[in-house]
Amino acid sequence: MTPFPQLLHAEWTKFRTIRGWVAGMIATALMVVLVALLAGVSSDQHGAPPVPIGPGGEPVNDSFYFVHQPLTGNGSITISVSSLTSSIASGPADLRPGTVPWAKAGLIIKDGTRQGSPYAAIMVTGSQGVRMQDNYVNDTPGLPGPVSATSVRWLRLDRSGDAITGYNSTDGTHWTTVGAVRLEELGSTVQAGLFVASPDAVQGPGTVPTVATAVFADLRVQGGRLGDHWTGDQVGPESPSFAGSPPNPSGSVTESGGSITVTGTGDIAPAVRASLGTAGTIADILTGTFPALIAVIVVGTLFITTEYRDLIHVTLAAGPRRSRVLAAKATVLGTVTFTAGLAGAAIAIPLGGHLARVNGVYLFPATSSTQLRIVLGTAALLATASILALAAGTLFRRSAGAVTAVTTVIVLPYLMVAQIPFIPAGVTDWLTRLTPAAAFAVQQTVVPYHQVASVYTPYNGYYPLAPWAGLAVLAGYALVSLAAAAVVLHRRDA
Amino acid sequence: MRLALRSEWTKIRTLTGPRWLLLAAIAATVALSVAVTSVMTCAAAGCGHDTTKLSLTGVQLGQALVVILAVLVISGEYSTGMIGISLTAVPRRAIVLTAKAITITGVVAGAGTIAVLGSLLAGRLILPSHGFTPAHGYPPLSLADGPTLRATVGSILYLALIALLSLGVATIVRDSATSIGVILGLLYLVPVLAPVIGDPHWQRLLQQIGPMSAGLTIQATTDLHNLPITPWAGLGVLTAWATAALLAGTLLLRLRDA
Amino acid sequence: MSAAGIVVAGLRKRYGATQALDGMSFTVRPGLVTGFVGPNGAGKSTTMRVVLGLAAVEEGTALVEGEPYHRLRHPLRHVGSLLDAAAPHPSRSGRNHLLWLAHSQGLAAHRVDQVIEQVGLTPAARRKAGGYSLGMLQRLGIAAALLGDPPIIMLDEPFNGMDPEGIIWMRGFLRSLAGQGRAVLVSSHLMSELQGAADHLVVAGRGKAIADASVADLIAAASRNRVALRTTTLPDATRLLAHAGATVTATGQDTATVAGLSPDRVVRLLNENRVPFSEISAHRATLEDAYLELTHDAAEFRAATPAEVSR
Repeated sequence: MTPFPQLLHAEWTKFRTIRGWVAGMIATALMVVLVALLAGVSSDQHGAPPVPIGPGGEPVNDSFYFVHQPLTGNGSITISVSSLTSSIASGPADLRPGTVPWAKAGLIIKDGTRQGSPYAAIMVTGSQGVRMQDNYVNDTPGLPGPVSATSVRWLRLDRSGDAITGYNSTDGTHWTTVGAVRLEELGSTVQAGLFVASPDAVQGPGTVPTVATAVFADLRVQGGRLGDHWTGDQVGPESPSFAGSPPNPSGSVTESGGSITVTGTGDIAPAVRASLGTAGTIADILTGTFPALIAVIVVGTLFITTEYRDLIHVTLAAGPRRSRVLAAKATVLGTVTFTAGLAGAAIAIPLGGHLARVNGVYLFPATSSTQLRIVLGTAALLATASILALAAGTLFRRSAGAVTAVTTVIVLPYLMVAQIPFIPAGVTDWLTRLTPAAAFAVQQTVVPYHQVASVYTPYNGYYPLAPWAGLAVLAGYALVSLAAAAVVLHRRDA
Repeated sequence: MRLALRSEWTKIRTLTGPRWLLLAAIAATVALSVAVTSVMTCAAAGCGHDTTKLSLTGVQLGQALVVILAVLVISGEYSTGMIGISLTAVPRRAIVLTAKAITITGVVAGAGTIAVLGSLLAGRLILPSHGFTPAHGYPPLSLADGPTLRATVGSILYLALIALLSLGVATIVRDSATSIGVILGLLYLVPVLAPVIGDPHWQRLLQQIGPMSAGLTIQATTDLHNLPITPWAGLGVLTAWATAALLAGTLLLRLRDA
Repeated sequence: MSAAGIVVAGLRKRYGATQALDGMSFTVRPGLVTGFVGPNGAGKSTTMRVVLGLAAVEEGTALVEGEPYHRLRHPLRHVGSLLDAAAPHPSRSGRNHLLWLAHSQGLAAHRVDQVIEQVGLTPAARRKAGGYSLGMLQRLGIAAALLGDPPIIMLDEPFNGMDPEGIIWMRGFLRSLAGQGRAVLVSSHLMSELQGAADHLVVAGRGKAIADASVADLIAAASRNRVALRTTTLPDATRLLAHAGATVTATGQDTATVAGLSPDRVVRLLNENRVPFSEISAHRATLEDAYLELTHDAAEFRAATPAEVSR
């Protein structure tokens, strides 16, 4: 029996001596890089408002109506909320009442009105009960249930040094702690007060602007030194996320007989794709994976189908254990494709990222380990697709059918989920869990947040499966096809 | 020419492959259209869907099989060496390719008519039970409706033009796998690439010149002013692609040794 | 008709660094089987492809009945050819393969059945060509060549893959085609295959015709009245025969080849002068000998390393 290393060597020699295949692999790497170049060069976000960055480095939404005063030193602030109602835009200047789950009204202590500055807040929400939130990403639940005139919520925020504690109460006398957080970066003087925010609501495949109005009473500040009057301000009127909000309700505050009515829109939360449409992702930069995918599918298919013209007898005579021949081919093909994909992605990400940033495009951040995962994952995606093509080529014996089948099963589901926004979420979810297109999860950098209601679909870059799990789906298809190919190759007359 | 045509027709009808591919194209087109129309719902008036276009979504899958069929018409001859016999029988090479083009147009238009009408019928039967009712502003799909008729006829022409584009590319490239890779790349690349092009002007231009993105505008019946290109002009772009590919193919076929 | 048969004149063609055709010229006349022989790579197939208009040349002309091939209206009614027997589509039946060819020439389906019968392919005609043996594919190719009942038949290596019985059938078949007055061009890299079939030979080497003569002339030239002699007194015999005007070449201690005298004359001379000998035989060259002699250079060329060739 021919030793496996010799079979590998033979297959490698076969591969590298066909100029077209080597060119195909170079083209694979080039296409990944060229599309990154194109995406980077063609983008232009000069003059767009800067994306606010939270203390953790992530992009955030930080626009809301803020009724505030400076507060120096330790102190606490208390309020009662008797109403929070929202309106949803259903057309230009056409607002209709509706429930916005994460509409927010409550108290906030914030390190100034700069967007992205540290804060801690306690609030009532549209349908998520009382929450204590800080620094955009952290969220702790308090009393459940909606707020109304018969179900008033009392909120208190207490600063003591770095520590901020949130309390809630149903009657203003019996208080329970919701949470305590430490804000290291907080200065001695902060802005404290009431806020109202109302994020865009999910409607079908997109989002629509909303506006919320809350009725407060019993405002009390204890300890600390306050300024001399309350000011109502829109935080972040010119932010990327705020651009789509209704034009007229820019927020307002009115006071009558001890009750304060505040109207506001916007959100204090981590940014997601739908709320930050102008931002790019590494997955966008790696769109060249598509043409590259077609190239590796063609080469992968030809690597076996050309043998069927006349060479397969020679190959099988040289290594009579057919499944070993197939394994050797898969190993060589996978390794070569992986290397090409690795080179392409490793160049494309920093290059495309640099060009995009030069052109003023904000990219959703990715840690080095995430970037490494994407580079390795993209290379693995291409390698796995080439092996799937090899298996399909073995099964079909004809390159035309194999190339079309593999391209279609990977690209068509992707086109359906990533290009057609109106396909229902249930269907896209199903397509990106079960079809080979699931593998594109490996390029995801955007993070979904439970406290942000948004469109978390593949169209927006959110895949239902974890990165490696998505790749595993494609790998599963490749392995099953390869096993079927081995069986067929074994049974069939060559 | 008449003889070459008769000969090409004999070639295509004496193989079982093309028959199965045409049946598969019809089945795939109708199946995807059924699947898509089955998952769409319309809860209230003005839900913003183009029901004609939805019903004809299957064309996007069916075209893949049309591509295989058209590519194999010429690359199948190159892979066995039969092209030598064909050109010996009909030495005027442009005539050989023209005869192939006419034959493939005929069979694809025939199968395409069944596929497209089947998809439309599926939409007509399925959509009303998913909220696409006259009350919501969606009368049942009908060929009596001008834009729907245009979309239907246009989709058949679209499939035929895809076949001609494929024939042209395959004549240039000769190898079937590479041809199909090139064609699918040409078709799918623009829709995949366009969203990452930041400049809206370039993005629009890309969608105007992409053979699939431009060609499929023929299926749109609503929101016509938002299309990157008008429906018939879009089909014209695809025609230009197919013509260019066929001309380049003819030229190379004449210049190269068979 | 201006000129019957095929006239090939001064064909030149390059494939990259290789000069595939380098002034190839010959004529194929009606009523004769013309063998086209030469080592692999001598340019035989390329020449045939040029005649059929499948390959272009930089220089020279190839005329079929006085016309370039592409001008023929129904080419298969003028020239029947078989270049690559494996070319038919494997999924199409042999009969259907002939049917599309027939349709391209405006021929009816019954002509297809006639040629199938003629080459003895009737039992397999409705099976897919992919399942044919090489011999069956050759017969299918020949049926295709006969389809238009053409005055010219051109076959590239038709003996390939044929069993001995098939080879004998093919020889007789070629003779009968020529007997019907057709011009027949048959290429082969094995001279022995053409023995008894060809009337005329074109020997190709390095892209040109290095001999173009009738089979009879070639054999005569190669034989040139040689006599093989075995004697124990070789020096005496050599002196005697040389004196009579012969060229004597010793081939062993007591064997020699005598050229320039007929066997009868050698026997008479040796007997008259009482020189003893044990064996005298006429040395008649085979077609193979003639061929080897002619292609000696070309064969040497073939054995050279690729580096030398490109120089």
